Amino acid sequence: MIYLKTLLNVIDNSGAQVAECIRVIRHGRKNCAQIGDQISVVIKQARPVTSDITGNAASRVKRRDICRAVVVRTKAPFRRPDGSVVRFDDNACVLINKNGEPLGTRISLVVAKELRQLEYNKIVALAPKTI
Amino acid sequence: MFVRNDAKEFRFCRSKCHKAFKQRRNPRKLKWTKAFRKAAGKELVVDSTLTFAARRNVPVRYNRDLVATTLKAMTRIEEIRRKRERAFYKNRMRGNKDKDLASDRKLVEMNPELLKMREVELRRKAEKLEAKNNAMEEEDVEEEEEASEEEEMMSVDESESESEEERVKVKIALKNKRKLRLTR
Repeated sequence: MIYLKTLLNVIDNSGAQVAECIRVIRHGRKNCAQIGDQISVVIKQARPVTSDITGNAASRVKRRDICRAVVVRTKAPFRRPDGSVVRFDDNACVLINKNGEPLGTRISLVVAKELRQLEYNKIVALAPKTI
Repeated sequence: MFVRNDAKEFRFCRSKCHKAFKQRRNPRKLKWTKAFRKAAGKELVVDSTLTFAARRNVPVRYNRDLVATTLKAMTRIEEIRRKRERAFYKNRMRGNKDKDLASDRKLVEMNPELLKMREVELRRKAEKLEAKNNAMEEEDVEEEEEASEEEEMMSVDESESESEEERVKVKIALKNKRKLRLTR
């Protein structure tokens, strides 16, 4: 249930910390993004550029930047084909470029395993755990 | 299923459990949970029958015979588990009857007056009546009568209490006899 104005945690090392959804990139009529959907976001909060510990300078993002992102966790419960209902602790996303590759080089926390079927294999591989 | 951010998965059997979790209740401190019962030694925890059902992270190659034997074994293991659980429960409850009996006996000893409530009531009523009658009569006669009555009442009381105790003793003896028979 990610839509306009939703705040999401950014869980990669691109430098962004909190992002706000400004558009759900989807062809259907429904305008809620779920896990695996692309959204465009504006960065609301970022780590200061001076503490340049991770990531190369090109992929660093600053506050007020507009980026693409993919939703990796939602607080709203969603149903798996096996009938189980999964709910995460927060809404989270990973910043990507137009080709669907992540901007960061690391992902800190769990992501949903639905991403694998949607061909976000890089994100799944980077994540410490998929559930 | 709820997934915490540290990748720990929680599966709740019912919404009651989910709500308790959201209220940050400790399952070990809630009496109705399995966790409490196991932690408090109220259920069978260490047993070979329970290890069969444990989750293992070892993939097993499919084998038709293996499946058949497993299916056959499952019912048998369940049977054994039930039997052991029953035995565990019985063992846990052993001695409770004696304890209850002892506490009851103690209660009777502590409060012998409770057993003859009706008698006490009647006695008080009689006393009241006597007092009323005596008030009408002359003073010197009153005093004498009262003294004699009191003495009588006291003696009656003593005899009653004795008889009560005897009755209780007889009852207990009877119970014990029955028990002995049963045990034999």
